[in-house]
Amino acid sequence: MELIYADNNATTAVAPEVREVMAPYLADDYFNPSSMYEPARRTAHAVEAARATIAGLLGMGDPSELVFTGGATESNNAALFGAARANPGRRHVITTAVEHPAVLEVAEEMARQGFAVDFLPVDRQGRLDIKDLIRALRPDTLIVSAMHANNETGVVFPVAELARVVKETDPAILFHTDATQSVGKLPVDLSGEHANVDLLSFSGHKLHAPKGVGGLFIRRGSRWRPFLVGGHQERNRRAGTENVPYVVGLAVAVELAARHREKEAAHLASLRDRLEALLVERIPYVAVNGREAPRLPSTLNVAIHFIEGEGMLYQLDAFGICASSGSACTSGSLEPSHVLRAMQVPFTAVHGSVRFSFSRYNTMAEVERIAEVFPEIVARLRRLSPYWDTERNTPRPEALAMLESTASPAESADRPSAHGNSA
Amino acid sequence: MAWEYSDKTRALFMDAVQGKPGTHMGEIADPDGIGEHGSIACGDALRFTFRVERHATDPLQDVITEARYLTYGCTSAIAASEALCALIEEGHYTPIAALAIKNEDIVAYLDGLPVQKIHCSVMGAEALQAAVFNWAQKRGVDLEELGVDILPEEKEEGRVVCKCFGLTEPYIRRKIKEMGLHSIAQITNAIKAGGACTNCHHTPGGLQDLLDETWGRSETRYKESLEPPTPPGVPAAEPSPYVVAKRIEQVIDEEVRPLLQHDGGDIEIVDIKGNIVYCRMAGACAACAAADKTMKLVVETALKDKVDERLRVVAVT
Repeated sequence: MELIYADNNATTAVAPEVREVMAPYLADDYFNPSSMYEPARRTAHAVEAARATIAGLLGMGDPSELVFTGGATESNNAALFGAARANPGRRHVITTAVEHPAVLEVAEEMARQGFAVDFLPVDRQGRLDIKDLIRALRPDTLIVSAMHANNETGVVFPVAELARVVKETDPAILFHTDATQSVGKLPVDLSGEHANVDLLSFSGHKLHAPKGVGGLFIRRGSRWRPFLVGGHQERNRRAGTENVPYVVGLAVAVELAARHREKEAAHLASLRDRLEALLVERIPYVAVNGREAPRLPSTLNVAIHFIEGEGMLYQLDAFGICASSGSACTSGSLEPSHVLRAMQVPFTAVHGSVRFSFSRYNTMAEVERIAEVFPEIVARLRRLSPYWDTERNTPRPEALAMLESTASPAESADRPSAHGNSA
Repeated sequence: MAWEYSDKTRALFMDAVQGKPGTHMGEIADPDGIGEHGSIACGDALRFTFRVERHATDPLQDVITEARYLTYGCTSAIAASEALCALIEEGHYTPIAALAIKNEDIVAYLDGLPVQKIHCSVMGAEALQAAVFNWAQKRGVDLEELGVDILPEEKEEGRVVCKCFGLTEPYIRRKIKEMGLHSIAQITNAIKAGGACTNCHHTPGGLQDLLDETWGRSETRYKESLEPPTPPGVPAAEPSPYVVAKRIEQVIDEEVRPLLQHDGGDIEIVDIKGNIVYCRMAGACAACAAADKTMKLVVETALKDKVDERLRVVAVT
């Protein structure tokens, strides 16, 4: 059975070009870049060349503004805690209700340490209202952290605009964005459009580099102190021997993504749009989360009413299709997706969300296969559901009443689609 | 997170979704017993129905011949529902005897469940109890007289401890005793209580208190301090005095807006905080390449001249 990997917001396949360029550093070129002999100079140069490549592609003013890290989680921790260390007088943090846990839980930890923290709400489409940001800003605001693109829904925040408003209000407030899902997929230009962003996190394994490597952009002159100490590496901003093979691989991965970005974005959008259209056509009572908002071209998050996500994933798995869900049963806790709850997705659907996310390696044939298999999976689980009338292929009256009591008139996608027969 | 299910659990689930012969998906019309547990908001819900072969004279000798379920839930919730129905049909139980089926029996039938999924088996046992209670009502059997202690209604009575899953104090107390639960983690795995927001863990009358009252207070128990310390008295942004705000609005209304409207545009004050006036250009101005300059030159200059020279304008798009 051919595997269909449609979970690229979780992680991606390592690109062959990346593996190839890493190989020598996993073999003969193993030297510590800090050592003095000639072979070590080669590894040091490789790290600096990688830094210059990525800095250039993301529009950094200087390669020294890029610090290599162990991934986006470390970058996010370093960004927020490092900002706090350098600005002891500022005790207020602003972030959003839909951040990845690597920001959300850092903010919650800061709240336990005595910081005041505001979590900006989103609307039903997952969008921020800039008025909420303006209202939240305070004279003692330390940092504003807002993700570029959401990992669950793909909804894109206007970070350039948010950063500009923050910096024009008070240049001493740091603006951080977690760009884990957007680097390589959306334009990032830290000298141009994103010139007001002070700190930017990204990760290798979301763009076809291996796991365990990422970066943190720290704009020159930002008030920030190191998070990891214990060595002079990365200009004293991130201690620890450089991860030479992974850093070299990361640069190639960013380069590939940047070079083909526009072409790939069009490819991804064609896959996503096709799958979205087919699922909406073939499944009654399906809603597309974030449909009205600007979204990553790669991400489709559908809410299937009246069934639970894990059972859908399990059956997709049986067909060799990899996807993910915001359901409670797949979250590792008993709580369903905080992102979908912040978007006030009706509770009849929040447990039934499924995310498909594509990469350059996905094909239209795979999309057609998913669209063939998935409606049948939904129909089977609905036959087991106490809320579904299988004969009439519609929710039972009492379930329909629940739906109507929670849905807003704006949620047109909650109503059955025109060709609502999933059988 | 990938759950590690037993082969039995996987097989029961796949058989159920494929509607293989011998599976128990469905609902019995006009059943002799019906019981429900859970809700869609919690992420799992089960409707369990059974039919009995009625004894001519003695309802206590009714025998369950058919059991069916409809389940909203994950892989293990559906497999546990299958297990429940299979256990009952295989055992040829009377409804009273069926009460001996506990969640442990469902777990054993499934060759084990991950600890985080034990609540799926508990849901089955609870729905069964509710269905037997319903049968007893229909058949005029007085369970209390028989010394059968089931109170499926109790969940609706009493103080709600776990608000996320709507679980009450009497229910949680009963489960702590019945299942020998000795920690908050065990409670959560068994009945989900405390599994979402965690607010009920250490509040007065919360899960830890119920554990202490049942098993005695443990000196070494772990007490999380989840309460964030009160933030130090940081003053909020000074709101600009009402008169200043009024004056800003007046200047914009009288001097700026007419200018912009002349060119088919408009302006909206988004917010005023301290010395910063956040404005959004509208109409033709919103799309105008010179909007930023206009904002600074026209709006900010007017406000500095007419209201307060410290005022700044920040454009919002």
